[in-house]
Amino acid sequence: MYFYILDGTKISPAQFEKAQVTLQGLLAQFRISGEMVRVTSIRGIPELVELAAERGVKTLIACGTDDTFNIMLAYLAGRDFALGFIPLIDDTVLAKILGISSIESAVKTVAARRLEKMDLAVIGDNYFISQVEFGIASTKVKNMGWFSSMSSLTKDYYNLKLRIDNSYTMDITCLGGTVTNSRTTSSSNSSIANPTDGFLDLMVLERLTRMDVLKYKPDIAKGVMENIPGTSVIKCRQVEFLEPRGFPLNIAGRTFAKVPAVVSIIPRQLRMIVGKGRTF
Amino acid sequence: MAQDNSAAETVVGPSVKIQGDLNSEGNIRIEGSVLGKVNTTQSVHIGEAAVIQADMQAGNAIIAGQVQGNIKVSGNLILQATARVNGDVACAVLRVEDGALFSGKCNMKGAALDKKSASAGEPEQEK
Repeated sequence: MYFYILDGTKISPAQFEKAQVTLQGLLAQFRISGEMVRVTSIRGIPELVELAAERGVKTLIACGTDDTFNIMLAYLAGRDFALGFIPLIDDTVLAKILGISSIESAVKTVAARRLEKMDLAVIGDNYFISQVEFGIASTKVKNMGWFSSMSSLTKDYYNLKLRIDNSYTMDITCLGGTVTNSRTTSSSNSSIANPTDGFLDLMVLERLTRMDVLKYKPDIAKGVMENIPGTSVIKCRQVEFLEPRGFPLNIAGRTFAKVPAVVSIIPRQLRMIVGKGRTF
Repeated sequence: MAQDNSAAETVVGPSVKIQGDLNSEGNIRIEGSVLGKVNTTQSVHIGEAAVIQADMQAGNAIIAGQVQGNIKVSGNLILQATARVNGDVACAVLRVEDGALFSGKCNMKGAALDKKSASAGEPEQEK
């Protein structure tokens, strides 16, 4: 049975109502209607996940924003659901990773039920399937104009200390970087940002010259840092951020943890419904 | 500064200083500094600006920077013109380009890996 968690928390009421009507029509059309529950102030996502488990639900679908899915992940507590995602707004990170472009394509994807086992990344108490960003990384650069990116990418830098796989420490002077499980952009190198390989990809961006900024700003904005000369790329299972204390670690522009913090990976933990156009 | 990172699974950038054991199952390219050990079954490329104070074990190695430590390579070892190597090397094939500095013993065809044959006093190539 399909269990749909509808979350309109970060969506305007009008847009949410419209999306909900569209979704109900499509679910009926593709004959994958199931139980549909709305997130309210009384019953949040944790309670709804609990309810789904009590009812013996096999497939749990988050309908809403990236946050809807991320919060749902945090409360799975090791339960074995097949998971799906239906974006009710445009431009969600998760939809791009999973190869979903609209509500309709999301419903088609759920109906086709192509299941892929994906790695689950953890930072502190939070689970995620995308990437952690630190310092100046793609989300910040995307919102920068040429002048401010020229200034930030050639001048700003941070000194960080990391421990990798409990095996070695890294002292780095960098603009920023990412710890990636999966991302919205496919890589020409299939081993990078592959959420089925059991590894995280740590990418560290070095200070750039003005010419490099002109040449590589689009790559930084897309998060494809491995294309930029001098970028460190480390495949690992655990990244421990040791210094500087209090340095923010963000997921999709929101701070999820501060240094000291550990990012690790649980291989092939999630059974995820994915689309044909997925990035991995 | 333009290097091709596409073939390397692990890339250590110029500003990075590593302390400890760098282990990988893929190709490694090092442009920064490493203090400890470097191990991979695949290839290691030590860039011109890299400073390595570590014993290295790899399938193949191309060295253009400074290495202080022993190098064990099961395949080809190439010391490029800018290489500065201070330590013993063991490899199947060795190529030293004009200008490279190498100070240490060289055992070829796995002789260095075989302690018995080493203690029996088999001939060694020295440079």
